[in-house]
Amino acid sequence: MSGQRMPSATGRRSVKNGIVHIVLALLAVIWLFPIVWVVLTSFREEKGSYVSNFFPKAYTLENYKRLFIDTTVLNFPRMFMNTLIIAVCSCILATFYVLAVSYCLSRLRFKMRKPYMNMAMVLGLFPGFMSMIAVYFILKAMGLTEGGWIRLALILVYSGGAGLSFQIAKGFFDTLPMAIDEAALLDGCTRWQIFSRITLPLSKPIIIYTILTSFMAPWLDFIFAKVICRANSDQYTIAIGLWKMVEKEYIDSWYTSFAAGAVLISIPIAILFLCMQKFYVEGVSGAVKG
Amino acid sequence: MLRKKCAIFLAACLFAAGLTGCGGSVQGNEGREKVRLMVWSPSEDQSKASGEWLQKMCRSFAEENPQWDITFVYGVADEATAATQVSQDPEASADVFMFANDTLTTMTDAKALAKFGGKYRKEIEEENTPELLKSLTLDGELYGVPFTTNTWYMYYDKAVFTEEDVKNLESMLSKGTVSFPLTNSWNLPAFYFGNGCSLFGDGTDESKGADFGGEKAVEVTNYLIDLLKNPNFKVDEGGSGIAGLRDGSIHAMFSGSWDANNVKEALGENMGAAALPTYTLNGQKKQLYSYAGSKAIGVNPNAKNMEAAVKLAVYLGGEKGQKLHYELRNVIPCNKKLLEDKDILSDLVVAAQTETFDKTSVLQPFVPKMSNCWVPVENMGKGIRNGSVTHENAKEQVEAMNKAMNSDGI
Repeated sequence: MSGQRMPSATGRRSVKNGIVHIVLALLAVIWLFPIVWVVLTSFREEKGSYVSNFFPKAYTLENYKRLFIDTTVLNFPRMFMNTLIIAVCSCILATFYVLAVSYCLSRLRFKMRKPYMNMAMVLGLFPGFMSMIAVYFILKAMGLTEGGWIRLALILVYSGGAGLSFQIAKGFFDTLPMAIDEAALLDGCTRWQIFSRITLPLSKPIIIYTILTSFMAPWLDFIFAKVICRANSDQYTIAIGLWKMVEKEYIDSWYTSFAAGAVLISIPIAILFLCMQKFYVEGVSGAVKG
Repeated sequence: MLRKKCAIFLAACLFAAGLTGCGGSVQGNEGREKVRLMVWSPSEDQSKASGEWLQKMCRSFAEENPQWDITFVYGVADEATAATQVSQDPEASADVFMFANDTLTTMTDAKALAKFGGKYRKEIEEENTPELLKSLTLDGELYGVPFTTNTWYMYYDKAVFTEEDVKNLESMLSKGTVSFPLTNSWNLPAFYFGNGCSLFGDGTDESKGADFGGEKAVEVTNYLIDLLKNPNFKVDEGGSGIAGLRDGSIHAMFSGSWDANNVKEALGENMGAAALPTYTLNGQKKQLYSYAGSKAIGVNPNAKNMEAAVKLAVYLGGEKGQKLHYELRNVIPCNKKLLEDKDILSDLVVAAQTETFDKTSVLQPFVPKMSNCWVPVENMGKGIRNGSVTHENAKEQVEAMNKAMNSDGI
């Protein structure tokens, strides 16, 4: 009879699970809130930056269309292409730099290895934008701050420092057994062959991670693009364009399009992530036999 | 092999293209002097949708000056941010650019602004009022050609307020809702100026400091606390004013010419614009005073051909340039002759802005110490809005604000 008073073990567990789920659901709502709001705003028909209700009164696709049609003042398609070119090029370069440097530091032993790693650590402690004015004047001296050269300048800026952020990839390479490398060396492989044929195929998760981070950095950067582009509006990147849209003169008429632009810039990152996601789970499992 | 040759050829081409960009003034084929002028303006001045004002003006400038064979290079920098762009690297900046006068010292500090003298200065002085030129004068030197005034005033719904109503804030509040950007430090001082507060004497004497303390400022603060309790008074924040005008919940707001088109769209035929009203403090009518400044065309002292650059600046800011600017983009002219033109004066916005500039505004100081004055005022506005400034502590809060405005600390 007393069993009815005492909650059963399964009952207690389901109460616990219930609480956990409620907490998680609450957190999910809090995290998703701003994103939902941006997406809703991008479809909002009422103009202006201020609304008194969360859900738009009417929905429209005009905000997206406007980004691509109304290009005389803020040329969004061109900014999008500029950013895409810069991001893709610096992504390829930076990924190669990071992986190559990490491989060398993980597998090769040379005199400057330790000092290099220490130096990278110290340099990594400084925020990158501290150097932005210096970077600007160096690029100017090279004649890269006018016209179409700005793209090259930005690619150089975004990929140039990549060799310093090797820590995570190096840590991953360190976990791959040396035995595989040694076996390959005995079979007559060169270092390059080991890197490209053995190490890389075994390190897909870290390659994906490197590609994603080195794509997102230039894709989202504002400060270097602003300092280097200056008045060359045909070289503006998306970040500068979006920033312009919320300036005093534009904010009222461009605000909803600004939200639409914010949604659009997340698309390439989302595609990249979805394409590469499946490689995340494939790891070293089953790579080493015996 | 062919590929390699192609690559070398391409590289050579690019190198040559890079070199030709650096031409200064060289004698042209027909004996005319070759001039390269780089001009920066906001992107609307160059866009097809708003009539390519800059390109049109530059073309006719080239026609009127056949002694030069001019190549124009255009760049985009709006008046508010041009100062940062130019002072970052004056040598690689435009020869002629547009700037807002409150950024004057940023540029003179970076030696990025040329002085106007001689016949050009005389010409500018003839075309503009001395009040306006004061906004561009530093230590007696003139640094720009003004092309528009820059201030804020009032937009209202004619269906709700009569022309008599809009002369006083209290009579407006009794008839409809009024929205004011109380937390914006560009707008809030209007109330304080009305009761005798001042900044740097007449705005140019740095040693006099900010005078935002004492009984006069406390009175205003107490007035604002009560004003906020009025259900017809709304704080305009994050664009709520224009949104309210659109849905009809707000009948008057304070903004500048950049919002003119939005207000026109929201109110249509009922759009009204007027200089700032008075407010009633302890039974006395006090005038609201907005900050006023100007936007001007500046010349880079690093320009290779100074004469052409100065002449172009004077031309762009001259009568013809302002007229076209107004026709294409509704940029409000400030030229004396144009402001006598009946067609232009019949424009509500022009009349309101000009009247505000002439009668209900103070010159926005651009002395370096002015930069200490923004944050304390903003905090005062926020404190009044969220209730942390009360009748009881108004005196202390005002003294704290005044102290912060007069100190160099952050």
